[in-house]
This record gives sequence, structure tokens and C-alpha cells, in this order.
Amino acid sequence: MTPIKVVGVWITLQALSVGLATDRGPRGGAGRGREPALPLPRCISPPPQARARPPRPAQPRALAGLINGSCATCAQSGSACSSTCLGAWPFSALLKVAPPPMEEEQTYLELYLDQCVAQDDLAPPGSPLLSPVVPDEVYIPNSSHPETVFNSHLEEVKETSGPFSSVDLSFLPDELTQENKDQSIIRSKHEIEENCKAQSQQSRLSLPREQDIGLGLISNSSFSNSHSHLYPGDADSVQPSLEKPDSMPLVSIAPMTPMTPVSECSGIVPQLQNIVSTVNLACKLDLKKIALHAKNAEYNPKRFAAVIMRIREPRTTALIFSSGKMVCTGAKSEEQSRLAARKYARVVQKLGFPARFLDFKIQNMVGSCDVRFAIRLEGLVLTHQQFSSYEPELFPGLIYRMVKPRIVLLIFVSGKVVLTGAKERSEIYEAFENIYPILKGFKKA
Amino acid sequence: MNNTAASPMATATSSSGRSAGKSISFAAELQSMMFSLGDARRPLHETAVLVEDVVHTQLINLLQQAAEISQLRGARVISAEDLLFLMRKDKKKLRRLLKYMFFRDYKSKIVKGIDEDDLLEDKLSGSNNANKRQKIAQDFLNSIDQTGELLAMFEDDEIDEVKQERMERAERQTRSMDSAQYAEFCESRQLSFSKKASKFRDWLDCSSMEIKPNVVAMEILAYLAYETVAQLVDLALLVRQDMVTKAGDPFSHAISATFIQYHNSAESTAACGVEAHSDAIQPCHIREAVRRYGHKIGPLSPFTSAYRRNGMAFLAC
Repeated sequence: MTPIKVVGVWITLQALSVGLATDRGPRGGAGRGREPALPLPRCISPPPQARARPPRPAQPRALAGLINGSCATCAQSGSACSSTCLGAWPFSALLKVAPPPMEEEQTYLELYLDQCVAQDDLAPPGSPLLSPVVPDEVYIPNSSHPETVFNSHLEEVKETSGPFSSVDLSFLPDELTQENKDQSIIRSKHEIEENCKAQSQQSRLSLPREQDIGLGLISNSSFSNSHSHLYPGDADSVQPSLEKPDSMPLVSIAPMTPMTPVSECSGIVPQLQNIVSTVNLACKLDLKKIALHAKNAEYNPKRFAAVIMRIREPRTTALIFSSGKMVCTGAKSEEQSRLAARKYARVVQKLGFPARFLDFKIQNMVGSCDVRFAIRLEGLVLTHQQFSSYEPELFPGLIYRMVKPRIVLLIFVSGKVVLTGAKERSEIYEAFENIYPILKGFKKA
Repeated sequence: MNNTAASPMATATSSSGRSAGKSISFAAELQSMMFSLGDARRPLHETAVLVEDVVHTQLINLLQQAAEISQLRGARVISAEDLLFLMRKDKKKLRRLLKYMFFRDYKSKIVKGIDEDDLLEDKLSGSNNANKRQKIAQDFLNSIDQTGELLAMFEDDEIDEVKQERMERAERQTRSMDSAQYAEFCESRQLSFSKKASKFRDWLDCSSMEIKPNVVAMEILAYLAYETVAQLVDLALLVRQDMVTKAGDPFSHAISATFIQYHNSAESTAACGVEAHSDAIQPCHIREAVRRYGHKIGPLSPFTSAYRRNGMAFLAC
């Protein structure tokens, strides 16, 4: 389980970073008045939802700055922060680049802090992977400025990680079985301590994660099958590379595994659209009581024997059954699904039930992407008959049942591809990399 | 025995008299459908009208027979079982229908998993909808199967030659298209009778019937209508190919009179219209195709499947 969680995060970050990197090119400014060239450091104002939240005393200054729209380093708001403010460059640029991850990241932060302040009884959802993931998810590798990126990123992180020490990030495992997993992650991070200015344990923990990912990003820009080689070697491979002076920790890193040639890599990353997960709250529930006391809960026993509850952040829906089992749908990432499930569990717990959080499992992941060229489905269905079914009068897409990994792909004439049936993110990426050369072969000029 | 050659045409002309009074016509949709099935870029309107007549007649007859069967078993609606019963003799077509039904189930299962709203809708609707059509088909065929042949069809993985032929034709057709033409082609391919369910119902005049078909039966009927059109186009393309005399073919002078390939019905291969894309299918091709389809030659022809239908040779079953 340990390597998978690490990998999960790693891949998440890779995915988001590469996706963001590729998205930047064609969008070129996306209506935000940004130059199509490399994003110049500029602070932007966050979406209104962040501003609406009341100020919290325990908030770290830098994070508060981000949330409230001021630059973390120069502490000026909005447009006052000039383009020379390098300190906040990665975050602000990233925040500007891809609105959905930004919002996710910010609300993520808020939620996370919310939970820490609330001091609830449940083990806080701040599992070791959540907090480091938060700043990382908006990390973009910029191959032309690796030094400044990592430099400022490190600075930024060091700043933000300082105030973290005041917040209790008790990385309590869900259940005892997870403790080993957490410890091994912490161990690998400790290996990198001596290279970073360790201010607090939290920074130690968060930094190496990013550098892990940073390394991953630089050394392996493609989601080839070689990332399987990276998994066990991840923790170890980071260490030797960081025996460098602090200022340039990750610049000249030799790839740990052979890179696949660029021509094979599709350069497109499927985005996750929906994640269905289940969890066992391990106690019998009185659905009527839940429906009466919880807001955003529907219960119609004649139609369906479960309470349907919805929360806005992350925007998900849960089906809660009287046996204590719960299904959570609608999240856009594994962490969000877990976070949402924890929130629902907390709601149930607050209503007086001894809810636990057992056997959280992701049942299905749906991803989608666009290959950006028209596909001649008639040809595809003929040559891959044993895998594909295409009945245009029933459904406009071709249904391709890939055997390895076991994923179902819906391929449309326009070039959109939907991948479903995955239990792990890597399956979606692998399936897409498998299908991409096939689709290229049926490109409709 | 009835003159099977004349009957579809005779009833067709009579129904065309009727349809002149009716306002519902699928001619435009049929033109698109024929294009997607292998006809020229702009099929002829007359051909479409003729095809509409043929399909309409056959479907009305089919519905009447299904209604009789429903009455026999005392049901209040025409359901999928009745239509499956009518098709029991022709294994290949029945298998194609079953595959279609399973695909429909499979597709709704997948699409449901993708969109969370669909998932909730399905859960809320209460009944277990997964593989509903498959269950219906399996249960029914189980009940009527005496020799085990019908149930064997579920495991049967043979290649459907007719479908294969159609796929190859479509592939050939689309190979030479540019993206705009291809987009149009795809649009045409997506047309079906099930998309225009209410128009289809009115066209078949279901409301005036005593026993009406239920939802699954309507799906199957829409499928059968589409299959009929597809069969007609397949056959017409073959006929057209025959009519082109090829140099060096020793039997070219005798082909149209004695071509007996249709003795085994239209399940033959090599229906390629490769070089004839410039011409659209003419009504005469359709007429000849229907004539040949119904015209059974051979010593055992009185005992073959077409005759059990009181003279009407159904193209789709």
C-alpha cells in the first residue's frame, strides 16, 4: 500500500503539472490578459469564494496572502505586486494558469485549515499526503527555468512551511494498518533533511515531497511504462540528487530511468472527471435521523433505501446506507474523494453515530481527454474488432474494451476520448498511452 | 401460394396511396440512412420513398403477426418476447438482434458509470435495470428452446458475415473522404428510428392498434426497421453490381435472369459497390432486390422460411 500512495500522489502531481504545462501552450492567455509567452510573475486576485471567508488568526501569513490576494513575499495585493517580485512567482503564475486546480488548491487549503481549527474527534483528514499535496498540485515544471523555479519554490515553501508548525498536523492514520505506510514515507523524507533548512517537522515533510515530485517531473516527462521502475526507487533516487548546494538542488539530475523517446509520448494527459469510492462507517445508521438533521440530505425510502447527501466542497454526492456503507461520487481526484468521504463521515459522526472510516476504496475513476484530431472510427472498428463495438445509431462513440489495463474507452469521432473502469490513476494514463498510437493511425486528415 | 414477388409491391402501392394522405414521412431520414449504409452521396428521393413503403409494409405486417401471438398468450401488450418468437427460425438475424440488445445494455451500464447523475437516476428508479434486455431475451429463449440451439447462440462467437461486410463497406467508403464529408457521414450514421420514437410510433399507427407494443418492443421494432433498410441497401448494391456487365464475364448475358444467389437469402458476401459510388441506387434496383429476395427457387422452396409467413418475405427476420 505504501508505494501506491506515494505513487498516487506523485502521479497526481506529474499529471497535473504536465497537463498544466501542455495546456498553457495553446491557451495563450485564456482571457486573463496574460502574455502568451512564459508567464511573468504577477499576482492575481483569487476567486471570490476565498475572499468571502472570515480571516483566521492561526493562518500562516504567506497562505493568508495567497488566499486574500496578496503576494506572499512582497505582501502587496493584486496589481501592486510588480513583475519583479520573484518570490511568489511560481504560485501566482500557477494560480493563474489553470483555474480549476487553483480553486481546488485554495479551497483545499481552507478546508484543511478549517478542519484543524475545528478540532474534531475524527482523525483529521490531513493525512500525510494531503498537506504536501496542496502546494504541489499547482506545481508546474518549467524546463527553461528550472533553477528559478526550484529556487523560488523552495523559498516559498520554506516560508509557508514555517507557520505550519503552529497547526497541529497530526498525521493520524485512518486505522492502525496505515501507520507503517506513514512511517515509511516519513523515513524517506528524513533522508533529505540535511539538504534543506529544516524549520519544522512539517516543512521537512512537505519539502521532500515536492522535491520528489520535482525530480520526477524533470527526469520523466512522459507517462511511459518506465514509471513503474520509478516507484520503488523514488525515495532513494531523490537522496543522491540532493547532495548539491542548496540553491540548485535539482538542476542537473541524470534521469534515474531511461526516458522514452519524445515521439512515443503523446504529450496529452487525461483529466479525471469523476471518482466513485466506497467507505465503511462501521455502524448501523438511522437514515431518518440523518435525513432530518443533516442539511442537503434527501431520503425517500419508497424510492431508494439510502440517504443522498451532497456537499459543495469538494462538489460530491454520497449515498449513505443504513448498514453504514457509503458511496461517494463526483470528486475529481483521489484526495478529494477521500476528503469528501471524510466530511460525510464527520457529518454522520456529529449526528451522534460512532462512525469510523474503514476500507476506503476507490471503485471507479473516469478520465477524459482530447487527441485534437478527427478519428475514423470505421477503420478502427474493423481492425480492432475483438475489442471494439461501434453502433452509431445507438451511441455516437466507439466502445473499446482494452484488456491490459482493463479499461473501457469511449472514442468519439471528434477526437474526444473518455476512459473509465480504472481503479488507479496509472491505469488511465497507461490505457491512453496504449490507445494513442492506434488512434493516430486512424487520423482523419 | 401467393405470388411473393408481387405482394410487397402491390401492398406497397396501396400503402403509398395511404401515405399520400398521411403527413408522416421518413423519406429525408431514409436518404441519410441510405447514404450511411453505402449508397451515393445524395440518394434519390424516389428510391427513399420506395424504401419507406417497403419498410412500412413489412413492419405493419410484422406488428400484426406479433399482435396475434400476443393474443395467443393472453398478454395485454406486445412485448419483446413476441418479436423474438417471430424471429426464432432465422438464427443469424436473431443473433444479430440479441447482440444489439446486449450492446444496448452494456452501453447504458458504461454511460451510467461515467456520469454521477445518471448513476443516481438509475439507483432512484428502483428496479434493477442492468442487463434488462439480456435477461428478457435469455428467459424467453430458455422457455421456448427445445433443442438447445437458441441458447447456444448466447455463447456463439462466430463472425456475423453481413455485419462484417457492412463494416468493410463503410471503411472503404470513409477512407477517401475528407473531414467535412466524414463529419456528415457520421451524422448520417447516427440516424435511427429509435431517435425519433414518437414519429416512428405514429408512422406505424400504433395508437389505432388494439394491442400496443411496450418500450422494449418499440426498441426492437426500430432496430428491425433499420435492419430492413440496411438489407435493402445491401441487396440493391448487389443487384446494381450485377447489372454492370463486366468484360470477360462469360455469363454476363444470363445474369439477371438466372442469378440464384439469393436462394440462400441475402447472407452472401462480396456486396461491394466500390466503383459505383457515383450512381445512386435506383428504384428499379430496389424492386429487383425485393423480387429476388422473395423468389425462392429450388426443390425445397415450399418448405423454407419465407413461406411460413403467408407470402411476405420479411427482410429483417
